[in-house]
Amino acid sequence: MISIDCYAYSNNLKTVHPVEKSLFAMITMVVCLTSPTVITPLIVLALMTGGIVCKAGIPPRVFVKLMLVPLSFLLISVLTIAFSISTNPSGFWLAQTINSVTVGTRYPDLITAVHLFLRSLGAVSCLYFLALTTPMTEIITVLNKMKVPVIITELMVLIYRFIFVFMDTATTIRRAQFSRSGYVSMKGSYRSLSRLFSALLGKVFVKSQELYNSMAARCYTGEIKVLTKKRPVSLRNYLIITGFEIPLILLNLLWR
Amino acid sequence: MSELILEAVNLEYSYQDGTNALRKVNLQVEKGEKLAILGSNGAGKSTLFMQFNGIFRPNSGFIKYQGEDISYKGKALIELRKKVGIVFQDPDSQLFSASVYQDISFGPLNLGLSEEKVAERVKQALTDTETTDLEDKPTHLLSYGQKKRVSIAGVLAMEPEVIIFDEPTAGLDPRHSQEFMQLLENLSIEGKTIILSTHDVDLAYSWSDRIAIMYNGEIMAHGAPGELFMRPENVKRADLTLPWLIEMHSELVQKGWLPPSTPLPKTREDLFNSIMAKSETSVKT
Repeated sequence: MISIDCYAYSNNLKTVHPVEKSLFAMITMVVCLTSPTVITPLIVLALMTGGIVCKAGIPPRVFVKLMLVPLSFLLISVLTIAFSISTNPSGFWLAQTINSVTVGTRYPDLITAVHLFLRSLGAVSCLYFLALTTPMTEIITVLNKMKVPVIITELMVLIYRFIFVFMDTATTIRRAQFSRSGYVSMKGSYRSLSRLFSALLGKVFVKSQELYNSMAARCYTGEIKVLTKKRPVSLRNYLIITGFEIPLILLNLLWR
Repeated sequence: MSELILEAVNLEYSYQDGTNALRKVNLQVEKGEKLAILGSNGAGKSTLFMQFNGIFRPNSGFIKYQGEDISYKGKALIELRKKVGIVFQDPDSQLFSASVYQDISFGPLNLGLSEEKVAERVKQALTDTETTDLEDKPTHLLSYGQKKRVSIAGVLAMEPEVIIFDEPTAGLDPRHSQEFMQLLENLSIEGKTIILSTHDVDLAYSWSDRIAIMYNGEIMAHGAPGELFMRPENVKRADLTLPWLIEMHSELVQKGWLPPSTPLPKTREDLFNSIMAKSETSVKT
């Protein structure tokens, strides 16, 4: 998770306007999820892999590893769709019958499973494209532009920032516990972990009070207003996005 | 006598748990001066600072800004905070946004400035604190010193009249702490009033026009740095030490290697020069 965050700030597409990247990722994802054919998800997958690896310059190894994360969940859920158990052996395309119980797969089920698998994978690659090329702070700016309620975006700003602050604190406490043999036994580990959590909870309250004070010192009056660095709007990028999306949408429509 | 800008009159403050953090604090800050507040940990420096821009409200006594009691009502308080900025000790509790640029823009936007004006101020603050190359980095990937400089930029961008720094050099390496002192010098030349708290006696002695020593919630002594440190009992009682320049100077005078009329050195160069001057005269005779 942390490595995704680092790449978001250091990839080759970081200067591209966040609205353009979000638009590209979101439209492609919708197109991928609504496709009636397996061809669209395959194209989307190739498109996003190209975007992430070639354009954004994310190492292929990192991308493959990230794609493997949802793969295990996906395989399990897809297998349950593809395979069925029945007492009626008719209609199976590939099956094994043991004591009048048939375990196997029906052809339409197999197609559904493969289709679902590819659609999910394609959609995940779209999300990865957004996550790997656009920093959270800029995604929040896009949400602001889309008139998402301020309370949600403000919470996102603070939560995102403080995930890192508290992770740092937790790491320090854990290291200190390790250096005093806090995790040598099962019992000790439970105790150390519970102390870590209670220490962290205390810190959360102190920090939030300090944060409020320091924000008040900078004239905070109940609304977090910030300026985001302007990124250049590129007509070329919009044309490229349209150029990719129209054929994909046509493919979806014509297949029916 | 120059104009007073901030004044604490008979300030008393205790925390909710009953700790007496400030006892009858009286302190006057002149416009444009460099005031150092020296004190050991827990002396009440940070608490005093929070009074100066109205974050804490005193139990008794009052704060005056430019001769008038400060008001704790919404609008007037914002007006005060526009003039008196605080850079907090821990940058992690000051930086609320993961984006350096966004965080610095927070203060000036709250002042109701236009976006162009804010962008200009952010740019200036980034230049002044030498953080321009960090503007695209997230705050959680910065080093402690970098975070500290960004939090300073966040206050500078509001262009306050008085800037209060709580332990500014704690946690900075020597190079960055020297650069920070240079930044303070520039701000001072621009006419800003600067208050800083520290327990680094050498820094306080060389930099400040005036020093106040705090101990246990009280202002124990205040005055020009030279005079203050000539009374070592002040220093001992406040759990502090003498600046090395003064110790060295008095040792040299005591041993007869420097004439007693030599002025107190304010910087190491002053001291080296007076030693050089002395050795040159002794060569001649």
